[in-house]
Amino acid sequence: MMLSRGSASAGPALPELTRRLRAAIFVIAGALLLLVGRLWQLQVMRGDSYYQRTVSNVVKERFLPSIRGRIVDRKGVSLADNRPAFNLYVTPATYPVVAPELRRLLALTDEDADKIQDRVNAGAKHSAKSPVLALEDIGHDKAIVIQQAVQHLPGIEIKEEAYRYYPQGDLAAHVIGYMTQMTADELEHSAGQGYDTSELVGRYGIEAMFENYLRGKKGKERFAVDAQGRRIDDAMAAELIQGDRVTDPVAGFDVMLTIDSRLQKVAEKALAPYAAGAVAVIDVKTGRILALVSKPSFDPNTMTGHVTKAELDLLNRDPRKPFIDKSLRATYPPGSTFKFVTTFAALEDGQASEDEKITCKGYYQPTNQDCDAEHGTLDLLGAIQKSCNVYFWNLAQRIGLDRLSDVAQEYGLGRPTGLGLNGDAAGRVPTRAWYEKRPGGKYMFGYAINAATGQGDVEVTVLQMAMAYTAIANGGTLYFPQIVERVLDGDGKTVIDYQPRVAAIMKTPPEIVDVWKRGLYKVVNELGGTANPYATSSVVTIAGKTGTAEVKSKTRRERIEERTMEGWHPTNAHAWFAGFAPYEDPEIAIVVFVEHGGSGGKVAGPIAKQIVEAYFTKIKESK
Amino acid sequence: MKGLIDLPRASIGVSRWRRFRATIDWPLTITVALITAIGLLNLYSATQGTPHASKFNSQVGWVVVGVVGFAIATIVDYRAMLRVAWIGLGVVVVLLVVVQLLGRSALANGSTRWIKLGAFRLQPTELAKLAVIMVLARLLTPTDPGAYRWSNLAVPGVLLLVPVGLVAVQPDLGSAILLVLVILSVGYLAMPDIWPMVHVTLGGMLAIPVVWETMHDYQKQRVFAFLDPAADPTGSGLQILQSIFAVGSGKLVGKGFMQGTQTHFKYLPEHWTDFPFSVWAEEWGFIGSIVLVILYAFLLLWILNVALRSRDRAGAIICVGVAAMTFWHVVVNIMMVLGLAPVVGVTLPFISYGGSSLVTFFVAMGLVASVSLRKHGY
Repeated sequence: MMLSRGSASAGPALPELTRRLRAAIFVIAGALLLLVGRLWQLQVMRGDSYYQRTVSNVVKERFLPSIRGRIVDRKGVSLADNRPAFNLYVTPATYPVVAPELRRLLALTDEDADKIQDRVNAGAKHSAKSPVLALEDIGHDKAIVIQQAVQHLPGIEIKEEAYRYYPQGDLAAHVIGYMTQMTADELEHSAGQGYDTSELVGRYGIEAMFENYLRGKKGKERFAVDAQGRRIDDAMAAELIQGDRVTDPVAGFDVMLTIDSRLQKVAEKALAPYAAGAVAVIDVKTGRILALVSKPSFDPNTMTGHVTKAELDLLNRDPRKPFIDKSLRATYPPGSTFKFVTTFAALEDGQASEDEKITCKGYYQPTNQDCDAEHGTLDLLGAIQKSCNVYFWNLAQRIGLDRLSDVAQEYGLGRPTGLGLNGDAAGRVPTRAWYEKRPGGKYMFGYAINAATGQGDVEVTVLQMAMAYTAIANGGTLYFPQIVERVLDGDGKTVIDYQPRVAAIMKTPPEIVDVWKRGLYKVVNELGGTANPYATSSVVTIAGKTGTAEVKSKTRRERIEERTMEGWHPTNAHAWFAGFAPYEDPEIAIVVFVEHGGSGGKVAGPIAKQIVEAYFTKIKESK
Repeated sequence: MKGLIDLPRASIGVSRWRRFRATIDWPLTITVALITAIGLLNLYSATQGTPHASKFNSQVGWVVVGVVGFAIATIVDYRAMLRVAWIGLGVVVVLLVVVQLLGRSALANGSTRWIKLGAFRLQPTELAKLAVIMVLARLLTPTDPGAYRWSNLAVPGVLLLVPVGLVAVQPDLGSAILLVLVILSVGYLAMPDIWPMVHVTLGGMLAIPVVWETMHDYQKQRVFAFLDPAADPTGSGLQILQSIFAVGSGKLVGKGFMQGTQTHFKYLPEHWTDFPFSVWAEEWGFIGSIVLVILYAFLLLWILNVALRSRDRAGAIICVGVAAMTFWHVVVNIMMVLGLAPVVGVTLPFISYGGSSLVTFFVAMGLVASVSLRKHGY
């Protein structure tokens, strides 16, 4: 114990202190050791993590958007592109309240001003120092006005950002598709793939199917900010950032379609007078799709990120269902265009011959069904030409349902075409087993009779029929349909070159196919044919088969609801035309389908003719 | 004679230079000089290249004022000052009331602590600490146990609480708590009988709920933020968190002089007044922090050493008071910076920016030097 005295003579000046010195030093040492212990804990034990924390305080990351690839037609015409959009960003911390000046500069309505205020408020709660998107796509003129006044408007900035843009409007909308914001679920799924919350993703058509090619790779920028969120670019910032400041974004690939936009335009125009329908035009030597139309359509410019609830409701309420791709997603009874199946099956089995004559009295005795007319005595070609059901019902009676089903499936019906776009449907080719498996199901003779003329439970897609007629036209090669010709990089160099893919070689002997082809020639080009003179062309010899597919009657309520659509009666038959041209050396196959359009020859025939003629007069030469 | 630390005594017949040298308490002076130097260095680093760069120059000016104050406090006999201790306390109370009245007219930042004197802003709170210490020295001078009856101490005790109350309603809770801690510390170390202090302490603890009820919302907020900094990472909690990040990120040897990123990128608000220690700890690491803590520890022990060797009771009590004031400032401030105490606005002696605090501590050390100088009875 350290003793202390005030002087030699007297005791210590403050004896209490001397007595309690030990306790005092104990308290001081204890308190200071507590501080030292805490310093040890913070600086030595946890120092590294706090160090990281201070770095992440300062160093922020920002994605640099990549430019999305374009979608172009086979000639390079742009179908989906990017345009600059001017977006207004507000930093809530520096610009918390929408002032009258901003309202005046932007000529805002009260409603818009409130909307901006809401977004700013929402942003302030989340992270007040980062700019929020307050107003989208304000246009070039307003952007300039703001840009000039930006000194008086701290916290306001205009950013030029690339927006998806579809220069051709609703042309080939179902093929191209559109983009929308990601849902919360999708965001979770794609975590780590560099998607932002506000980002648009391909949602339909090629935009969705080729998302991974179109999207490109986002770049990244690392930068230092101070506590106020201001960017600091000095030596200390550079040291903290370490490594590359900027990783450049990689632009997405361009996707070149097999579609010819001019032919597509012609096809859409030809279909324009009708409320709903679909067209497929195929290059018979490759299986490439030259035009693919689905009507009614939508404008992808509206759909992409800008569609309002009201617009969407209107589209969703449309009984014609604009979002269902009628060329490959919706299925329909094919009507008489299906008779090639009956013909091939009967001829292959030797159950029929070209010369056999059957007399049509206007009805078919065994099932008591009416034919379209009393055709009299016809041979096979005549029956094809005049589309006599009685003739084919007789053939069906001989060969049975399962044989029909076999041939139909050989030609690709009853299963998806494999295009992979917009959920292409399988359709249905019923078999005996299928009927028996249905609840309380029992096979009946009439099913085969119905199937023989593409009625009953047979359902196909327009594209399936187009591929089948392609195989007929090209001498027996069933292709997988192809809609993307190649994927190109930013310099126009081919990255992926998609080659035609053969699905199967048909077993039908050429002379049998030839019978059908000659029948199709007569349909269009000889007096009495169902498409004569509707599809008869002086430019090129068209061969084809019409179909007028009866529709199962609907309930009264459905009828009333759907009849509001002008020129589109849900009880009307579907109009089909399926064929190819030129007859002598086929180059293209075409299927025209008009939903509830009525007579195949009168309605679908002229449409097909317009499209085929345009192809051979305008489009083919400029290849 | 023996103290905690003994130095060679001056004796008659040596040169003027050696006599001058002997009048100066070198360990005290050098320690204070070192800590002040660290404070200036730290302030330079924290403000250089920012709009606050002029603070360094003004702080240098205050150091000069402080040194003059130190010299005057050393030269003037503390026993003379003791005679006017009560008057001094009276002046402080008047100043505190003036501040309160001024504050009514112009409310700024929720509290008023300043009196403008031309270019200077005087903080009477700091003066109150010195006045209270001097009054305590006078009160506890008698050695006769009879002088320590409740009846004798009640009136002066209440009078001592007047400045405490005035400081608390400013509101400056930190300084009020600090005054209470100084009074208690001196009481514990200088009262002949320790039991009255124990009673007062226990009574004070019972009063805490009452104090809590009268506290302002922002003060309560700071306490909550201290208890759970992460719960409110935007306000007071952010300050504590960022301070902890800054200290921790210094690691063993620090980021280096003027290399503190927390300071540089302004993540530490008001770091020159209440949080200079985090700047120091960030730039000089654990080693630098320990050096500073050791300097303070030595300073405290040396002041106690002077107390032990004082020639009279009053001088010893002054030293105890100054030691207590320094100790609580250091401990509360650093605990605050390290997230061990709520942010209450207590300065770090000789390091925090601000003239009032700096000059007060220089004068306080001058009083200790004065006691040290007169230990042999000139």
